[in-house]
Amino acid sequence: MKTILLTKKSICLLLVTMMLATLQSFGQQDLEKELGNTAPAHEKVSATFKSTKLINVHTNETIFKNELDFRIDHRFGDIAGSNGGIRRFFGLDNATDVRIGFEYGLSDRLSVGFARAKGATEVQQLYEGNLKYRLIEQTTDDYIPVAVTLFGSTTATGVTASDDPSSGTAYRNFSDRLNFVTQVIIARKFNSSFSFTLTPSYVHRNFTAFRDQNDLFALSAGGRAKISKRMALVVDYTMPFRNGSDQDYLEQQSGIKYRNALGAGLEIETGGHVFNLNFTNATAIEEMQFIPQTTSNWLKGQFRWGFSIARRFSFNKKNKEK
Amino acid sequence: MKTPLVILLCAMLSISVQAQHILISKTASISFYASTPAEDVEAKSDKASSVIDTKTRNIIFKVSNTSFQFPKKLMQEHFNENYMESDKYPASTFKGKITDDVDLEKDGTYNVTIDGSLDIHGVTKNYQTKATLVVNKGTITAKTSFKVTVADHQIKIPTLVFAKIAQIVDVKISAVYQPK
Repeated sequence: MKTILLTKKSICLLLVTMMLATLQSFGQQDLEKELGNTAPAHEKVSATFKSTKLINVHTNETIFKNELDFRIDHRFGDIAGSNGGIRRFFGLDNATDVRIGFEYGLSDRLSVGFARAKGATEVQQLYEGNLKYRLIEQTTDDYIPVAVTLFGSTTATGVTASDDPSSGTAYRNFSDRLNFVTQVIIARKFNSSFSFTLTPSYVHRNFTAFRDQNDLFALSAGGRAKISKRMALVVDYTMPFRNGSDQDYLEQQSGIKYRNALGAGLEIETGGHVFNLNFTNATAIEEMQFIPQTTSNWLKGQFRWGFSIARRFSFNKKNKEK
Repeated sequence: MKTPLVILLCAMLSISVQAQHILISKTASISFYASTPAEDVEAKSDKASSVIDTKTRNIIFKVSNTSFQFPKKLMQEHFNENYMESDKYPASTFKGKITDDVDLEKDGTYNVTIDGSLDIHGVTKNYQTKATLVVNKGTITAKTSFKVTVADHQIKIPTLVFAKIAQIVDVKISAVYQPK
């Protein structure tokens, strides 16, 4: 009997302790449950890319409101091939193109830019004005799976008009000097270390060399893969869709072949600065030029060392209230 | 047969117990400020959530790291991407208890000590802070401030930007709790 009583007692005790324990833990858990889901709904993905450009192609990134991005792009001469090698110090003696650009954020979605570039072909002294607008932003919960940014630029050439009417620079008036680029930049950040972009482009040049195309469609793809917290490998590829017969004619006339532009590089982000060290066969930097006019061949050593430096300045007034 | 009954009993009990003693704030504000030779770093979130149990005097704070707004947006991007790693650690949480024996159901102003653990960047550390609670007709207004040492939570700052980012950050919190 005694033992049974004891067991009963101990069971009772156990039950009470259990109840108390459950109560206690219920209270704690419930308290946290009361908070509900604190994560914001459909949160926007930030920093799909760290810079407004990969190497040759634009990313979906724009400049935040009241911030200014100052960017220098530089392309040296061919590393190898007939124009490279030790005589030209692996291309470092030449600069095929240099671009100095400013971009300013009018809002967190819209930025406006102005740039001056040397220009890589006979079409030189380029002045570019551009607008970039974030149309759609990817969300972390994949409610919106991709980001879409629109890019539009107008580039005027300042080079002295050529007398040769078949030349690409035989301008008759100012409007001949204008070139337009429209891009729809589709991007997705797959995870914290990999982002991808696909960009259809439309390039319109008011004046081109004889039988060169005024209107040209192209497709670009690019990716960024982080190798450390601050460093990433970047690659981009641009493929213009040229009209076959015109391309054959031009290639026969000049003895050159049109190529797709491929770039590969290392991006280093230091908080405020983004450095990019790259190799690409594209001699030009401006979209209206590198998309239609890339003729250098990677396999012939006609790729170059290039770099870009981007520095961000903020003009936001400091928040006075604390 | 006994066990489900006990669980049911406990569940019922706990439901009846918790209901009236829980006050909640969905718009608690957390701001932090750090002064460095290069520039001042400050950010604020008005979207923190907090809940207080006046009976047990337990208190929980939770804030989504991405809800902090910086005057400089690039700084905000760096904060989330490089320092807080918000994709891995989306929220910062404080779980604590008011150690003083105060009756938070009576109107009045109470200076109390809160003891608890703060989870930032996936690293939990114990904190003790003084707070002021004002109880007025069922609502509670709470205010506190404390210092967080960045290194305590294994937030790594590269030497290159060392000067720009302070090692000790002043955190200010205020919340108005309403009955659930």
